[in-house]
Amino acid sequence: MSGTKYANAVGAVRAMENTLLSKNDIDQLINSKSRAEMEAVIASKVGSSSGETLVSVWEMLHEYAPDCKELEILLYKNDFHNLKAVLKAVISNRDPSDYYISPSNVELSVLTEAISKKDYSLLPEYMRKAAEEAYELVTNTLDGQLSDSLIDKASMQAMQKSAADFGSEFMQKYSQLVTACADIKTAYRCSILNKSAQFMENAICGSSDLEKEPLLKAALGGTESLFTFLEGTPYSSVAALLRDSAAKYEKWCDDVIMELAETARMQAFGSDPLAAYYIAKEAEIKNIRILSVCKEFGADKETITERMRKLYV
Amino acid sequence: MTNGLVLALIGAALAALLAGIGSAKGVSLVGEAASGVVSVDPSKFSKVLLLELLPGTQGLYGLIAAMFILIRTNVLSGNAAELTVQQGLAFLAASLPIAVVGLISGIMQGRAAAAGVSITAKKPEHNGKAIIMAAMVETYAILALLVSVLIIMKISV
Repeated sequence: MSGTKYANAVGAVRAMENTLLSKNDIDQLINSKSRAEMEAVIASKVGSSSGETLVSVWEMLHEYAPDCKELEILLYKNDFHNLKAVLKAVISNRDPSDYYISPSNVELSVLTEAISKKDYSLLPEYMRKAAEEAYELVTNTLDGQLSDSLIDKASMQAMQKSAADFGSEFMQKYSQLVTACADIKTAYRCSILNKSAQFMENAICGSSDLEKEPLLKAALGGTESLFTFLEGTPYSSVAALLRDSAAKYEKWCDDVIMELAETARMQAFGSDPLAAYYIAKEAEIKNIRILSVCKEFGADKETITERMRKLYV
Repeated sequence: MTNGLVLALIGAALAALLAGIGSAKGVSLVGEAASGVVSVDPSKFSKVLLLELLPGTQGLYGLIAAMFILIRTNVLSGNAAELTVQQGLAFLAASLPIAVVGLISGIMQGRAAAAGVSITAKKPEHNGKAIIMAAMVETYAILALLVSVLIIMKISV
């Protein structure tokens, strides 16, 4: 009966999906004239509130499926971001809590202790090597950008490895997409800034969808060379987006992850619907944030609509 | 007690046992999914309860087949029949359709009904469709019960 795992959690998630904001709700939010009106639309969704954070969503998922280890892959990006923050904070004697992102698989105190005492065994296995290498790199070279790119790359490698270890097809696709999106962004920036091959070697991770070497070579040839290369890959539509604007590319990255999440909508069991719900909630919170900022700066409806991320429901 | 009667009783036990296991697994699976829904939205209790009941019927069919065997062999009246090995084997064979199909269809109907719970959670107005889809599995349990009962009734004691 292994194919029927997490039936209870999936049932709960399906009921909670009714509280996610729909296209109509987003249209209402875009048309709302005041913050109070926006709050009212959000509050009209049962169980939903503008104060609901990803931490509470994560805690709820963990409560329903405490043994679902593959879900933790969703938090790797936060874990590695926190590693960057703590590393810099420890070296510069600052408080890392201001830069700590929740939810995370590793608590701030554990991360701080591991870095300050150089006891990397306190960290999860997937972070140890990256933490040690990044610490050595940043203390020897004082190059924060280099250590950041090392950690980012390690984050994607860890995601891909864990997804493969768990054998979760959904998570493997998710980690490949996240890696490809990040790699394309890195390659694009590097080509604009004329970064060296050595820098790109350290920053680009590579995946089965988008291999590292050809991407690196294309980026070294400049942006046009990169766009031409991308047109011949599964990410052919990206070239046109990057030519247009980086914001459109960022939106595409979020939307393509949501398209993957949508594949889990038809599944009645397993961890995929749980992961999809987390991704959906993440997108919803991002949409509300974009909406609030756009409203604050008086952006017109067309601009806001253009920037809205794809919805799960 | 003859060897034939022992074989017949094994048949009765298998019918109740395997079909009961199928139902227990099926109902528990739907129960898990239904509890998840009700924990978030208690108003859907009655709708998901209907789905949870569906895989429970296989256990009843197993009980019916077992009762027929016990009645035909006069075990219930306290005057058990002296069955030959052939007669005992015939009762054992008669119990197999509902025992095996009851086990498998109970589990499978549980899966179908648990998936139906998702429909009820998201679109409660389509609850009927979820019930119909899960109820389709029931057909094969009914056919198996029919075959088991027909064979039991035709064995000469």
